[in-house]
Amino acid sequence: MSARLDLPQGTLDLLILKALSLGPQHGWAISERIHQVSQTLQIPQGSLYPALHRLERQGFIAAEWGASDNNRRAKFYELTRAGRKQLDADTEAWDKLTAAVALVLRMAR
Amino acid sequence: MLSDMRFRLRALFHRGAMERDLDDELRFHLERETDKYVRQGMARRDAERRARVAFGGVERIKEDVREARGTSMIDSLLQDVRYAWRGLRTKPGFTTAVVLTLALGIGANTAMFGIVDRLLFRAPPFLRAPGRVHRVYVEWTSIDAGERVERTIQYTRFLNFTDWTTSFEHTAVLAYSNMVVGTGESAREMTVARASATVFAFFDAAPFLGRYFTADEDRVPTGADVAVLGYGFWQTHFGGDAHVLGKSLHIGNKTYTIVGVAPRGFVGITDDRSPAVFVPVTAYASSTNENYYRNYQWSWLEMFARRKPGVSIETANADLTKAYQRSWEVQRIQDGIQPQRDAHPKAFVGPVQLARGPEASQDSKIVTWVMGVATIVLLVACANVANLLLARAVRRRREIALRLALGVTRARLLQQLLVEGTLLALLGGVAGVAVAQWGGRTLRALFLRSEDAAPVVADNRTMLFSIALTVGVALVTGLAPALHALHRDVAASLKTGEREGTYRRSRLRNGLLIFQGALSVVLLVGAGLFARSLQHVRGMRLGYDVDPLVYVTANLRGVTLSDPERRALIDRLFAAARAVPGVVNATLTVSVPFWSNEGRGAPFVPGRDSTFKLGRFLLQAGSPSYFETVGTRILRGRGFTDADRTGGQKVAVITESMARALWPGQDALGRQFRLGSDTNSMTTVVGIAEDMHARMLQDTREFWYYLPIAQYNGAGSPQMFVRVNGSAEDYSERLRRRLQREMPGVAYARTMTLRQLVAPRQRSWEFGAKMFVAFGTLALVLAAIGLYSVIAYAIAQRTHELGVRIALGASTTDLLRMVLGQGLSFAVAGLVIGSAIALWAGRWVEPLLFSQSARDPRVFVLVGLVLLAVALVATLRPALRATRVDPTVALRAD
Repeated sequence: MSARLDLPQGTLDLLILKALSLGPQHGWAISERIHQVSQTLQIPQGSLYPALHRLERQGFIAAEWGASDNNRRAKFYELTRAGRKQLDADTEAWDKLTAAVALVLRMAR
Repeated sequence: MLSDMRFRLRALFHRGAMERDLDDELRFHLERETDKYVRQGMARRDAERRARVAFGGVERIKEDVREARGTSMIDSLLQDVRYAWRGLRTKPGFTTAVVLTLALGIGANTAMFGIVDRLLFRAPPFLRAPGRVHRVYVEWTSIDAGERVERTIQYTRFLNFTDWTTSFEHTAVLAYSNMVVGTGESAREMTVARASATVFAFFDAAPFLGRYFTADEDRVPTGADVAVLGYGFWQTHFGGDAHVLGKSLHIGNKTYTIVGVAPRGFVGITDDRSPAVFVPVTAYASSTNENYYRNYQWSWLEMFARRKPGVSIETANADLTKAYQRSWEVQRIQDGIQPQRDAHPKAFVGPVQLARGPEASQDSKIVTWVMGVATIVLLVACANVANLLLARAVRRRREIALRLALGVTRARLLQQLLVEGTLLALLGGVAGVAVAQWGGRTLRALFLRSEDAAPVVADNRTMLFSIALTVGVALVTGLAPALHALHRDVAASLKTGEREGTYRRSRLRNGLLIFQGALSVVLLVGAGLFARSLQHVRGMRLGYDVDPLVYVTANLRGVTLSDPERRALIDRLFAAARAVPGVVNATLTVSVPFWSNEGRGAPFVPGRDSTFKLGRFLLQAGSPSYFETVGTRILRGRGFTDADRTGGQKVAVITESMARALWPGQDALGRQFRLGSDTNSMTTVVGIAEDMHARMLQDTREFWYYLPIAQYNGAGSPQMFVRVNGSAEDYSERLRRRLQREMPGVAYARTMTLRQLVAPRQRSWEFGAKMFVAFGTLALVLAAIGLYSVIAYAIAQRTHELGVRIALGASTTDLLRMVLGQGLSFAVAGLVIGSAIALWAGRWVEPLLFSQSARDPRVFVLVGLVLLAVALVATLRPALRATRVDPTVALRAD
């Protein structure tokens, strides 16, 4: 396994929303996609499903049962309009935050 | 927000489907993960394990998901309730045992609370600002009787207290007693409240009809002859007639005009009576004693006062005492009573409820005891249920350990066990209220005189009490096993489960068992002591027969008769009584046991000083038929004859102990004594009768002498004893009707059986015996169930070990001895602890017993035998089961 980074607090939701922005996916695929793209981020699987259900409750994602690529019944999550808005807002906030943090860190160096 | 709500609701209502979906979703994830590893070249089994490790505890995740969905609280609660309910339904025997146990405990306490509340805590209905309303007591030191506290005062004193104090907003007096209400055959004795008009100002209760009487109608000296009916009396005697106002009603010796009807439930201020009618205190008093408002002769009123807001109890007491001292001076000048420096007169305010004041009755003390007993039974019940649940929890140890290992949080498990306990307690509570309704009526009839047959759990307070009790029981019974189960080492439990290894005794469980046994012993000892007391009381010869006697008063009610008329009336009454079939005999009487006693002071005996110091001398007078009628045995000499008449030689029959006291070591027959003043002629003793107890059951210095009625000059209403064949109860009403016909004018005949008069004296022992026997048996049965279930459970758990023993050659006798020994050792431990408690508590119980030591070894031995026998029976069945263990089956299992 490659070196792994711990996920900062509150970023899991953002990552899930981002992963779903590319199209509907089931839970396992979301975790795989994030891992593959980042190469380092390991989604704590115990938190993935509670996060999904929380986002569903908040109305940012919607769920539907469908057939998976190997033809098994799977629950697919999809970004709602509210979710897309939330993703934009969160991304912007994240960018600002990281930029600001980076700035401070660079100055200190 | 709205969608959020909808989501949660859907989650709640489609819980089953959602749970299935969640399972599917997680299983799908694990499969994909496994597939991934398999594709990487892992063996399938390793891949599965790897996937599971990466995923973590499934149960924990599910729990988190449920929480994320926002339904977990209600959801899990519902789930637990359903789970618990299912569990209880699959074990109907266990559930029934627990629910019954709790029902009896909760029921007994609820029923007792209703009574204790009414006697001790609750204010009378409609009372305004009950916190500031008090009963007034007076206290002084008398020369012969020492310090005395009394609650009855004179009307004059009431006027003094009212006029000479400033601490009170309102003051009032009340006197309840039985008076004859109505005329002719419908005349009955009823509770009549003589009340000052100010009484009504204490309440927030408008009259149901008409009005209350006013201060003008309650003015010294004579008031007005008006009456306010009690609601119940108005219903039963006037059929709720709305035109009752203005009608007249004969009460005692006077006729009153009805001016109002009190609202339903209005009784004034009293613990246990519901008066039929209220009349002005002045109107009644003036017909009895015309100087009642000027002299201090007649103490008959209970006084109540409401403090002004802001006036403390201490201030009020000081104020009252000052008024009492001033009033004492007035009385001292009038009547020459002892000076204040000897008497130390003091007055104070106390609680309205009599049972909480300084003059609490024996009955209210017993009520408190019974409440304590009921609490013990509830404790036994709780211990029992906790024990049963504990046994179950231990049996489920493996299940619990498994769930903990699967990631169920401890809090969640605790919740589940508590839910189970609460469910049981709730079922028990509901059944308990039913028990209280059914058993409470009997209790109520014993303790409260009120005629209303109101259901026991009718008021909110009792209901709240039983709910609080149920919750408490739920916590106690649910929490103990829950904590016990959770504090076990998960790994060890999983490894050993319930079958392997040695059976480990639970200290908590054994402690509860011994505790139950000990409490049953305490109650059974109480039962034994009270039963023996009752036996003593019942077996006691009172000096007259009780069951075949009817007591008759011919209440003249103000009708004045000349001597010949009076004699003619008595002859007619005798003839009428004797004519009733079944009547054997009749006699006139002047004293009535435990009702009214005549006295002429101590007799003067030549050569002896101060005979009054010997004891209390009481007088009875009767017809020549007296001794035969009441069944008093003449030991020596003779009874009375027709020859003992007015003007003849004065004769007397005296009791054995009086003879012994006056002429110790000598023959009293033929001796003489003098009654009353020095100029009276001497009376000769012609007979010695057996001792008589008619004032106190336990007084050894109660001396009676009998005079022929012809030589006793008493006026007043004639009284008779009538002896019947069989039980007096069957004749009482028949006699009353027959004799009423002979009564002139408004005069009124009244009958009571002698048993009615004697029974209240024996009541406290009878009651104590009944209560302790009932509750003691209950506690014993509960303890037996507890012992049985624990031993049976232990045997079931030790099947493996027993199998090994049998395989190794243990005989049936060995096994029996082992199991029975275990059961008996619990019983012996309980017996020892219980006996110690009973011995220690004995000194508080002894005053309530009747010529019975609280440490009677016979009672303790008997209780011990009973307990051991019950323990043996409870253990025998599981013991026999232990001997039937098949070693091959036991060892092969698991």
